[in-house]
Amino acid sequence: MKKSVLFLLALLVAFNINAQLDRSTPPKPGPAPKVNIGKAKSFELKNGLKVFVVENHKVPVVSYTLSLDLDPIVEGNKAGYASMAGDLMSTGTTNRTKAEIDEAVDFIGARLRTNSSGMYASSLKKHSGELLDLMTDVLYNPSFPTEELEKAQKQMLTGLQSQKDDPNAIASNIKSVLRYGKDHPYGEILTDETVEAITVDDLKAYYDTYFRPNVAYLVIVGDISVKEAKKQAKKYFAKWESKEVPTYKYDMPKAFEQPKVVVANKDGSTQSTISLSYNVDLKPGNPDAIKARVMNQVLGGGSFSARLFQNLREDKGFTYGAYSSLSSDELVGSFNAGANVRTSVTDSAFTEIIYEMDRMRTELVPVEDLTMVKNSLTGSFSRSLEDPATVARFALNIEKYNLPADYYETYLEKLNAVTPEDVKAMAEKYLKPNNALILAVGDVPNMKASLSKFAQDGQVEMYDFYGNVVKAMPLPADLTAEKVIAKYVNAIGGADALNAVNEYAMEGSMSVQGMPLKMKIYSRRPNHQCVETYMQDNLVSKQVFNGEAGKVVSPMGEQKIEGEMLENMKTESILFPETQYTELGYKLELLGADNVDGQDVVKMKIVNPSGKEQTVFYSRSTGLKVKEVSTTPQGTMASTYGEYTEVNGVKFPKKMTQVVGPQSFDIVFETIKVNEGVDANKFDI
Amino acid sequence: MKNRFLLLALSLFLAGVGAIEAQSNKISFEEYDLDNGLHVILHQDKSTPIVTVSVMYHVGSKNENPELTGFAHFFEHLMFEGTANIPRGEYSNYVERAGGTLNANTSTDRTYYYEIMPSNQLEMGLWLESERMLHAKVDEIGIKTQKQVVTEEMKQTVDSRPYGTLIEEITKRAFKEHPYQWRVLGAADHIFAAKDQDFVDFYNQFYVPNNAVLVIAGDIEYDNAKQMISKYFNEIPKGKKEIYRPNIVEKPLGGEVRDTIFDNVQLPLIAQAYRTPAIGTDDYYAVSMLNTLLSSGQSSRMYKSLVDEQQKALQAGSFAFPYEDPSLALTYALPNMGVDCGDLEAAIDAEVAKVRNELISEREFQKLRNQVENSFVQSNVKLANRAENLATNYTYFNNTDLINTELDKYLAVTREDIKRVANQYYTKDNRVVLYYLPKSQQN
Repeated sequence: MKKSVLFLLALLVAFNINAQLDRSTPPKPGPAPKVNIGKAKSFELKNGLKVFVVENHKVPVVSYTLSLDLDPIVEGNKAGYASMAGDLMSTGTTNRTKAEIDEAVDFIGARLRTNSSGMYASSLKKHSGELLDLMTDVLYNPSFPTEELEKAQKQMLTGLQSQKDDPNAIASNIKSVLRYGKDHPYGEILTDETVEAITVDDLKAYYDTYFRPNVAYLVIVGDISVKEAKKQAKKYFAKWESKEVPTYKYDMPKAFEQPKVVVANKDGSTQSTISLSYNVDLKPGNPDAIKARVMNQVLGGGSFSARLFQNLREDKGFTYGAYSSLSSDELVGSFNAGANVRTSVTDSAFTEIIYEMDRMRTELVPVEDLTMVKNSLTGSFSRSLEDPATVARFALNIEKYNLPADYYETYLEKLNAVTPEDVKAMAEKYLKPNNALILAVGDVPNMKASLSKFAQDGQVEMYDFYGNVVKAMPLPADLTAEKVIAKYVNAIGGADALNAVNEYAMEGSMSVQGMPLKMKIYSRRPNHQCVETYMQDNLVSKQVFNGEAGKVVSPMGEQKIEGEMLENMKTESILFPETQYTELGYKLELLGADNVDGQDVVKMKIVNPSGKEQTVFYSRSTGLKVKEVSTTPQGTMASTYGEYTEVNGVKFPKKMTQVVGPQSFDIVFETIKVNEGVDANKFDI
Repeated sequence: MKNRFLLLALSLFLAGVGAIEAQSNKISFEEYDLDNGLHVILHQDKSTPIVTVSVMYHVGSKNENPELTGFAHFFEHLMFEGTANIPRGEYSNYVERAGGTLNANTSTDRTYYYEIMPSNQLEMGLWLESERMLHAKVDEIGIKTQKQVVTEEMKQTVDSRPYGTLIEEITKRAFKEHPYQWRVLGAADHIFAAKDQDFVDFYNQFYVPNNAVLVIAGDIEYDNAKQMISKYFNEIPKGKKEIYRPNIVEKPLGGEVRDTIFDNVQLPLIAQAYRTPAIGTDDYYAVSMLNTLLSSGQSSRMYKSLVDEQQKALQAGSFAFPYEDPSLALTYALPNMGVDCGDLEAAIDAEVAKVRNELISEREFQKLRNQVENSFVQSNVKLANRAENLATNYTYFNNTDLINTELDKYLAVTREDIKRVANQYYTKDNRVVLYYLPKSQQN
């Protein structure tokens, strides 16, 4: 008793201490801190080079970024040459070999990178003189050595080879080609041929045309004063010669009039890399830009709370992450929503993405959600200011895109003014699932058919790495005819279930030239068969085989089956011969990939022991037989099978369509009975 | 609202005149322990109005039960589910509403959780981290959802990524005893089979103040920060269970292990992994310098020889694993099209042999020192990196000040040391060699 009082007391004491802190409510923020956007200083050299300087003395590092403001170019059958020219600038000058440049850069622990639209160099401040010597040697005197081009081509070709298996690279190529067209600078893709076509002269011409101070910005950031920066800029960059640089204009690529649904294959993939994307007309500094960014942030920006992430990851567990992006661009902006999802939910993931896009278009975003996104963007804006390069980028954007001088100073103000109505208006304007490219890269046979619902015409096309249409999917290298048959046997129930079938009876109906007919099929192990046709309950024809002899009964009379046809029936009447093709002496040949009614199939030639040939098509995804084609005295006969239904552990096609010459019959089997007894006299001859 | 705009306008005006504070390069900090064993490190940097709140728990995949792997990483997901006071799915919303960002990562040796907040939201960050240290929600619904998410993560980052299985294929051959043999993500079937109680037990053992370090870095006042820290963390009870720290010394490899993996890749890859000393040891720094020599920059031995001169490789690289226990240094290369893997491997071996046999030149040695100095300076530029470095140095070495002195450890390495460690560790009997080949080459 005493003990419990003490215990109570102890609890009280504990309670009192804890009472100071109420954990159930989150703490209130202190007064908002000042957000200082550092200033960039700028000046221009006589040759037109515009220089921006941002001082930051926290660490003894200085960086120099040279960026060219160029219109994208169409490279045509030499796609890749611009980036090659950029890459190779640092691989040799008239003064230094590549090895000498590399050694000099590494010796001072520096970085020097060149690309088609500029270069970047950074080092500790104490090495900046040597760094600028190297940077300007590369800028003024690149020699584009032939052996370096050849080396780079070899590497680029090897790189292309590895990209062919990368779902993101496949998706990126297909998006480029389909959304922009192969003649737009954004629609060009690298191929072995374009890479091989690049010459040293192309690189020299590119360099000579585009690396000019009058289209260039030099951004100096770090432990340096404006005065020092001016001195360095003049010393190193004043002698750079200006020259007029060509400009280019492009038409806006046409939008899709309806969803275009496309798949691409990646062998052995357990996930689909999916994306829903399209072009948008949104240029940097567009008055919509900030509001549209808020809208995208609500939908699928990089945060945990974004709707795509919450829906596809946290609610459904489809994926590790789902995101959307809406980016502005001077030529063509872009919207993209995507994720890597397990194959079986490929279509469901698209359904959820479209659902969330529609919700953005039709519902006002709750104020609380909007506030969160605004706060989150405000925070990320503030955090980005930690990096002095951000301040430089702001200054550069204002200059490049003709933004108002206070664009970034008023950024947070504009961000805070965004309303739920603005967000909905942006969603209506920029979210267009009906004009999107719906693309899935993965295990095509197991997801293609499920995507047809997203296309108005139900068509799902397959494309390859180069953005070309593929008629049929190539077969895996290790596939054999025997594996196809084994898969089929498994698909209809497995050898054990098939061997357990002693007999079966099927009753179906069909219509021939408007007349309803009934069909009854009886089958018994090893190879007894009887097929009867009824018209209004009257038997009109019958075909029987009892394992040795056969006959056909028709209104024209009764006829024995003999000769070649009889031989043929001996094997054709065997129950599930697929389980014993080898023993029976069937010959199999894998013919390749094909397509039957939009389904990917494997095409096989099957020759029975009496030499009769059939072409059979098996579904790539289910393994089931979908079609058979054979030659009969009446002409080519094609049978297609569908609606497989399980009876006693064995799958039978409930639906069969036969096309013989100009005639076509649809048969639907209403009843299928297995091992329930078949009247023995059905097989009497 | 009005006040806020006024403040904003004011701040924008001040932006023009606010001079950027020059700082000495030494990183200053304060550190102390709470009664419950939580170690606290404070670092002030007022140049941007942000603050990093982070907790490093000294638990990684090596602390796991061999039958239940992947737990430390699984908690990286569970710890966002909520707490006794934070409803499910709301944890990250608090951070975002406050204008912050958050994330976490897991390694073999530790797990790191952090928020970067506007500096007026420090208290929010402390509340959030203290909540999940005190009473995170480890329950059925969260476990079920995250099991699925983690399975997809495994597919995305390991199964679908070319060479995604490289590290695990190496470690399982390089370690027979030590828990480094399994991957940080763990085995999918372990995670799936694990019971809810297994997760609760793991939480109670490892996610306790005496197994953690709290780092607050950024725009803070020391006294104010200390008060807030006591307010939220003092009441968290010390862990009652003994913390499992494997003390497993892996035997020498005892002979080269060599294998081929056929995978969904287009290009072959050659990887050689040598067993090397733990991070923080003198030889670790020497091995690390050796790797700089081999592959840092285009003038490095491997890049220059294999990629540029002989053109046998498309890409080549090497690095030492920064693991708390002795682990591995990895050398890898992707052959150019048409180059035989054996040829390329012989070329790599020749470069390593050169380091074993010849002392490097004074100039090349000076280059290494300059490279190391530059990357050391760059590694502490961002506030978030500084916070993590502080946490790591305390967690592994109980030496927070290493952030200011680690460069000396690199600079103490001599040319002779580099040659010596090449001879001591870069031997055939001490390595695992793997070839990754495209499946199409499998017969």
